Amino acid sequence: MATKNVLDTVAKKFIQIGLPKDLFERNKFNLLVDRNKIIVRYPAPGVRSEVVETPTGVKTKVYVEPGTKLEEPVTLCFGAAETTEVQTTEGEIVVGEGADVKFQVYGAMAEGIKLKHKNKLKVRVEKNARFEFLDLHYNGEDTFVELDTETDAYIGENAYFRSVFKQTRGRAGKVRIVLKAQVDKKGVAVFETKMIGKKDDEIYVEDVIHLNGEESRGISKSRIIAVDETKATFVGETYGNAPRCRGHIDCSEVIRGKDVTVKAVPVVVVNDETAKVTHEAAIGSIDKKQLETLMARGLTEDEAVDVIVQGMLR
Amino acid sequence: MTPILTVNDVKLTIDGRPILKGVNLIVNEGEIHAVLGPNGAGKSTLAGLIMGINDLKEPDSGEIIFQDKLVNGLDITERAKLGITLAWQEPARFEGITVEEYLKLSGRNNPELDVVECLELVGLDCSYLNRFVDDTLSGGERKRVELASVLAMRPKLAVLDEPDSGIDFASMEDIANMIKTMRERGTTVLMITHREEIAEIADKATLMCDGKVVQTGDPKEVGQKFKTMCVKCEVRNPELVGGE
Ligand SMILES: Nc1ncnc2c1ncn2[C@@H]1O[C@H](COP(=O)(O)OP(=O)(O)OP(=O)(O)O)[C@@H](O)[C@H]1O
Ligand SMILES: [Mg+2]
Repeated sequence: MATKNVLDTVAKKFIQIGLPKDLFERNKFNLLVDRNKIIVRYPAPGVRSEVVETPTGVKTKVYVEPGTKLEEPVTLCFGAAETTEVQTTEGEIVVGEGADVKFQVYGAMAEGIKLKHKNKLKVRVEKNARFEFLDLHYNGEDTFVELDTETDAYIGENAYFRSVFKQTRGRAGKVRIVLKAQVDKKGVAVFETKMIGKKDDEIYVEDVIHLNGEESRGISKSRIIAVDETKATFVGETYGNAPRCRGHIDCSEVIRGKDVTVKAVPVVVVNDETAKVTHEAAIGSIDKKQLETLMARGLTEDEAVDVIVQGMLR
Repeated sequence: MTPILTVNDVKLTIDGRPILKGVNLIVNEGEIHAVLGPNGAGKSTLAGLIMGINDLKEPDSGEIIFQDKLVNGLDITERAKLGITLAWQEPARFEGITVEEYLKLSGRNNPELDVVECLELVGLDCSYLNRFVDDTLSGGERKRVELASVLAMRPKLAVLDEPDSGIDFASMEDIANMIKTMRERGTTVLMITHREEIAEIADKATLMCDGKVVQTGDPKEVGQKFKTMCVKCEVRNPELVGGE
């Protein structure tokens, strides 16, 4: 593992792009990776893990012991403090029966760097377990990242899985996010994506939820703000394959600027007469009444847009 | 008495249909001025022209003057910075913005801002501070938050479009008191209402019908006129007065 010096350098660069200072000051990380180097590793109680460095990144295996309940989130960071050609991260997470945990994962791409990031993640949430995976991305305004990430999740009987992808700061870059879930009896899958694209950013988000078990539920929610010349596509597919399963796709994309291209494709397939899958998709400019309300309180148009957008991305 | 707002022979046509047909109105500084009138009379349209919302940036003709300044053509922010604000008949809902944040934004230029007090004045307790201003608030709660945000801003002129609609009958007195407090804190209030008990707290009232001002004066008299005349008026029910 790295020296304090290395950690300080990385901390400085990541705090600069908006990562909470507190994470570093209070040693919150259970795992911190810079490109393909493990900088910090600190085990969380009830969580067994294996992390190995590879030529271009890291491979992780995480096993949350059955019944583990953690108040504090397990905190991870996969980042790059310097330009590198590719960073590959591969992970496998198994959340044991009845466990209840939250992972807070920071993606940090330092100001001005360029990089391709490939990520593959397999998630298995066992019976009666609850797992929240908050994936928070911080990029610099001058950073260019090509991100390609795929998550494959299995949600067991009466288990709950919520995955949130948030691009909180900076340029989105060129992004492809694919999330897939197979949901068993009474299981719940919630996918949320919140992003803002600027300049010539390209965003592609695909949520696929298979509701395979009786009374399983799926929610796929996306909020994409497309500014300047951004191209954004959201594809939400939900398959209602079992009795009394319920699915909902809720996608709202806001466009700001004449040169944006935005597409929303909700696909709803039902194979059981008692299943119900619904969708709402809205593409449009910022709601005028919201804008005018804030302006009537004295905000300028740009300030009002910012408030509304930050609210949607919350 | 000093006029804070003067509406001078304002005319407006929308899609070829005359909506305001020469409206004249003077609101004096420090007063509570009620605007009454039947549905479709043009009350909200007039309010929109005063604030500049809904693409109502200026009338086809006539003047809207705020404290000696012509506001025709100014954008919404400029009018707000002069000290005008408006509370919508149907307020907007915001995703991901809490009541506290909304009140703080509204009152960011008010050095004496006290968000908890603003909520209390509209009959909501501090448990609402971290609620979102979205569709999880009931219709009446949302209206109250809107009034709280006007209190937070403490403008020179507040245009309230039906502050009482969607508010339960038992709370009318709260709303009346809240409007009086607004005035005590230096805000002149122009309020559109359909309710007599709210109109009665006004110093002056104006009755609008069919895009025109029919009468301005004592709220009781104007209210009486509204009740007796308007329901049977010649414009809306020509057969009652021997028309077509
Ligand atoms: N954008 C518009 N396009 C067409 N007609 C409009 C538009 N805005 C207002 N109107 C018409 O102008 C008239 C006045 O509307 P306004 O909303 O000002 O009435 P109001 O007095 O506020 O009524 P209410 O008591 O029902 O709120 C109505 O007949 C309405 O249909
Ligand atoms: Mg109206």
